[in-house]
Amino acid sequence: MRFLVALLSILPFSAAAYAAVPEEGGLNLQASATRIMERLHWFHNYLLVIITLITLFVLALIVWVAIKYNKRANPVARKFSHNTPIEIVWTVVPVLILVAIAGPSFSNLFYQENQPDLEVIATAEDDNPNIYPDAAAQGWITVKAQGNQWNWTYSFPDELDDGGYPVEFVSNPLQRGLSSDQDTEAARGPRNLSTDYPLVLPVNRYIRYQTAASDVIHSWTVPAFGVKTDAVPGRLNEGWFLVEEEGTYYGQCSELCGKDHAYMPIEVRVVDQETYDTWISTLRSGDFDGAFGALDQAQVASNSDRTGAETRLARAE
Amino acid sequence: MAHDEVKHDYHLVNPSPWPLLGSMAMVVLAIGAVTYMKGMFGIPEGSPWLMLIGLGFVGYVMFGWWREVIKESRAGDHTPVVSIGLKYGMVLFIASEIMFFVAWFWSFFEFAIFHGARVGDSFDAANPLYAEALQAVGGQWPPAGVELFDPFHLPLMNTLVLLLSGTTVTAAHHALQHGNRKTAINMLAITVLLGIFFTGLQILEYSHAGFSFDGTIYGSAFFMATGFHGAHVVIGTIFLAVCLIRLMTGGMSEKKHLGFEFAAWYWHFVDVVWLFLFAFVYVIPYLVLGH
Amino acid sequence: MAMDQVSTVHDDHAHDHKPGFFTRWFLSTNHKDIGTLYLVFAIIAGIVGYTLSGIIRLELAQPGIGPLTSLMEFFGYSGDQAIEHAKHFYNVVITYHGLIMIFFMVMPALIGGFGNWFVPLMIGAPDMAFPRMNNISFWLTVAAFIMACISMLIPGTGQFLGFGGGWVLYPPLSSATGHPGPSMDLLILSLHTAGIASILGAINFIVTILNMRAPGMTLHKMPLFAWSMLVTAVLLLLALPVLAGALTMLLTDRNFGSQFFDPSGGGDPIMFQHLFWFFGHPEVYIMILPAFGIISHIVSTFSNKPVFGYLGMAYAMVSIGAIGFIVWAHHMYTVGMPADMKAYFVAATMVIAVPTGIKIFSWIATMWGGSIDFAVPMVWAIGFIFLFTVGGVTGVVLANAGIDHILHDTYYVVAHFHYVLSLGAVFGLFAGWYYWFEKMFGVKYNKTIGYAHFWTMFVGSNLLFFPQHFLGLNGMPRRYIDYADAFSTWHFWSSMGYAVTLVATLIFFVGVIEAAVRRRKGVGNPWGEGATTLEWTLPSPPPFHQFNELPEVKPQEHH
Ligand code: HEA
Ligand code: HEA
Ligand code: CUA
Ligand SMILES: [Cu+2]
Repeated sequence: MRFLVALLSILPFSAAAYAAVPEEGGLNLQASATRIMERLHWFHNYLLVIITLITLFVLALIVWVAIKYNKRANPVARKFSHNTPIEIVWTVVPVLILVAIAGPSFSNLFYQENQPDLEVIATAEDDNPNIYPDAAAQGWITVKAQGNQWNWTYSFPDELDDGGYPVEFVSNPLQRGLSSDQDTEAARGPRNLSTDYPLVLPVNRYIRYQTAASDVIHSWTVPAFGVKTDAVPGRLNEGWFLVEEEGTYYGQCSELCGKDHAYMPIEVRVVDQETYDTWISTLRSGDFDGAFGALDQAQVASNSDRTGAETRLARAE
Repeated sequence: MAHDEVKHDYHLVNPSPWPLLGSMAMVVLAIGAVTYMKGMFGIPEGSPWLMLIGLGFVGYVMFGWWREVIKESRAGDHTPVVSIGLKYGMVLFIASEIMFFVAWFWSFFEFAIFHGARVGDSFDAANPLYAEALQAVGGQWPPAGVELFDPFHLPLMNTLVLLLSGTTVTAAHHALQHGNRKTAINMLAITVLLGIFFTGLQILEYSHAGFSFDGTIYGSAFFMATGFHGAHVVIGTIFLAVCLIRLMTGGMSEKKHLGFEFAAWYWHFVDVVWLFLFAFVYVIPYLVLGH
Repeated sequence: MAMDQVSTVHDDHAHDHKPGFFTRWFLSTNHKDIGTLYLVFAIIAGIVGYTLSGIIRLELAQPGIGPLTSLMEFFGYSGDQAIEHAKHFYNVVITYHGLIMIFFMVMPALIGGFGNWFVPLMIGAPDMAFPRMNNISFWLTVAAFIMACISMLIPGTGQFLGFGGGWVLYPPLSSATGHPGPSMDLLILSLHTAGIASILGAINFIVTILNMRAPGMTLHKMPLFAWSMLVTAVLLLLALPVLAGALTMLLTDRNFGSQFFDPSGGGDPIMFQHLFWFFGHPEVYIMILPAFGIISHIVSTFSNKPVFGYLGMAYAMVSIGAIGFIVWAHHMYTVGMPADMKAYFVAATMVIAVPTGIKIFSWIATMWGGSIDFAVPMVWAIGFIFLFTVGGVTGVVLANAGIDHILHDTYYVVAHFHYVLSLGAVFGLFAGWYYWFEKMFGVKYNKTIGYAHFWTMFVGSNLLFFPQHFLGLNGMPRRYIDYADAFSTWHFWSSMGYAVTLVATLIFFVGVIEAAVRRRKGVGNPWGEGATTLEWTLPSPPPFHQFNELPEVKPQEHH
């Protein structure tokens, strides 16, 4: 099985890409930026092998009977209708396959679901790739994403401004499918994915994200992080991730929320700790433009180049 | 293929206008309900007449349809094998009704048992939109300000009334089976009166409620569950009353009285649902969480 | 076989006297006529649902909002107004596409159409148990469809018409917060009506099967299609009332101030999802089990062999139905359930692959050693077996909560359920159509047209839905009118696939019309000795009232 996974990973449809954005003509999961997604990649490749083999096996059987037992090749049908041993086999073997799936499945599930205990991890020494003692020592960063019709409000419950309120800002989509703003904004990053004010987070830190909503259900997701959590009115859902690489990552609202559901993207700018510290403290002081203005705008552009996708506008020209 | 002569006991029903009329009635009723709730097609919101016409239409279809069934039964179409089929049908209908009540119990239990998960850690308390609700639900069940009914007053009375009516309907059945039509009529009449009495008590109880349907989630869940039960009591009472009229006018026989049996089954179903309501909606919350 | 039935006039035999046109088709109490009505209705609803899917594919063929804006401009809106309307309209289109395909195409065709036609014939019964109730099931379905269509045209939210919240009707988008207009109210009542129709139909099927089997036909001798309908009917009977309850709560939330799903009153939107999927998951098996039944007969007939592992096949369906009731929350992995609960639903869901696998392998074992005739129904059946497997195994991928966190609400899910529905249930539907066409209508269809229909449909629908796996893996969310440019390649090919199915569907109708015009007289049993069930002992079409003398099933006789 290991071998097959390895084999599969060199096939085009599982080739890892480096852009944390959907790829033009892409065939597989987006590239991973977190350990969670890394494990999902492995798990998906593993499943892909299994389900491909099952499907090919069924196909092969069908082809086989079609060749061997068609009217011409086998004019007289046999009449058997039972064979207990084979029935046992095709009951037990799928059970075994499912057990083989369930093992890694549960281990991945609990890895994602159980928020790590940072105090324990901080003192851990082993080189287990699933934990990050250095990051754990610095504690959690908590960010709350609230879905609204149709944008996201981000707030940092632990970062209070002068008035004692959590730092908060609204992240609007750059496109709403409307003719007017399409013209002016389309060039600033991948269409339908970029926002005016992205969420900024530090690299290599344990992030606890919370989702909430103010009107209808939305869903906050960043494929490269391997996270997706519904933002349900009245509820506060939680999850965690730790991004290992700086860059700009995109996601899109993933629960139908009305007319502009397709136009409430999620843009996360993952920067080094220092940039993040400056950004958040500028925000805390209330200097909104200063905080975002200081960010490296080029980063967005280079990311959008990496998609290889042209905007509709560019293509029209 | 021999098709000249029917050699089986199944009932091949003649073409009938009721299904088509019934579904037309349903369209009128539904559109009437929407115009009543929202106003549409120039009919102002809150104007119930189209809905009432639809309701009358549905009632007319039910009346006509079932009258035809009774006629067929008198004509001998309900052979033993058809009767078995009708019985299966009634049992299955009651099974689907039970699943309907599952939905109400589900919502009641969800709010009563899992409210901790909802209003505790995972509640979006920081949001001013829901802060009020949090206050109302107050991290407790029943929500703050909700005064539970004392199950050992009216509800207990209701339980006794229904249990009693369960025995009287059984007594009526026995009497009918033994050809004692007079007793059957009396017992059934008592059952119907008990049904009406139950409904009356329920209305009385509702009028004393310390919460309302639209005030709190407790009210919604409570009134929906008990209200739908009440509606079934009314339907069951009408069902029994129809049987009573048929008995008094000489209908039904010692051997064959499917309509009566179905009414009785239905009544027992309503009874059992009440026992569940009494236990889980009235008594246990009162004892565990009450005062 | 006595062929006297083919003659048109039938005078004095009261029991085979066909009533006049209006009485026959509007006041019917005849299971075969009602079955035909259901099929005609399903075709009409299918055309509507199919047209809606065409609007989806047309819009998604390239990024941006194109065709729908033009459509809205055609309706008199201009500029940004047209775009805003287009965005809402898209949501309306997908919502009604899903609802119509499920409630008014697949269910009426498989259950109402083939179920009505062939359950009584196969079990040797003269009609359904409650023929008049049978008819109200049909007319209520029509009523529900009319209400659904009207609800598309009345205000949904603000100035926008129709309900655009997805076929799953999640509040608060479906409550007064998201869609305050009357559209949603009428849609709720439409689904109530469709639900009542299905519950009555389910009661009818169960009673017919339990009470009206021919003498000697024990349950364990009953044909598998009747088995599949029995399980389906039980699922309907137990699942639909729960949906009715949820819809009722939604209705009172919207209009009478209750707060079941309204968080600002202490209610919980997630509870709706539990109630919905408690119905919704059994619903997907309601749509596929009748197809399973049909496929079993076709595979056996054209392999000229009895069904392999008959009892295993029957009880596999029973266990699929039973397990189907305890897996519902696999649609809700991302709503914030505790991890342990997810783990339970992962395990329970994956278990269903085992009985389903038994079915797949038993079909192949039925063919094994057989003498396979690749007649038109058989190629559809083989297509079904393969394509359903493709859809089934992606279901197993989705069943794993960990990976579903990333695939939920993406096109991967869309690809999964179209493989099991549009390439599963619909292939089963067409297989049954070609298997029983001659029996039902007494005329032969043109085989070449049948094969052409199959191959274009096979190629077209695979081109249509296979690339959607790639889109989903790559992160393309569902229910999007517009998408990031990177998704355009596969969306383009998917829309091309739709164009091919358009050809296929035209071929289908050409086949129907050709058969209707040419009127090649059908025979009682066109399929030879492989066709062993009772319907083949009757002429085609069967007499208006069959089995006036009940057929006797001999103990050694095989299903
Ligand atoms: C006919 C309809 C139908 C059928 C039969 C199925 C069958 C299955 N479905 Fe599907 N499903 C839908 C219709 C259907 N589904 C729909 C409509 C939705 C979306 C609803 C919405 O959100 O709008 C959905 C969504 C859906 C989800 C939620 C995805 C999400 O929203 O995130 C999941 C997750 O578990 C799932 C799982 C499964 C599984 C495990 C099966 C299994 O029953 C499949 C079993 C079959 C096989 C596995 C193949 C044959 C078996 C073998 C050859 C044996 C060997 C195999 C193994 C050992 C693996 N389905
Ligand atoms: C049975 C169910 C069914 C069927 C058959 C189909 C068929 C098709 N579906 Fe559908 N689809 C759904 C159920 C179904 N779908 C559901 C539930 C959703 C989710 C809605 C939501 O998100 O809320 C959905 C969503 C959905 C989407 C996603 C929209 C989005 O998320 O934005 C797309 C996109 O391409 C799509 C496309 C198609 C196409 C092109 C076809 C077809 O064109 C494929 C070809 C099919 C045919 C050609 C069959 C035609 C049949 C007849 C003409 C009747 C014949 C009758 C007899 C012989 C009696 N569908
Ligand atoms: Cu917000 Cu979809
Ligand atoms: Cu499911």
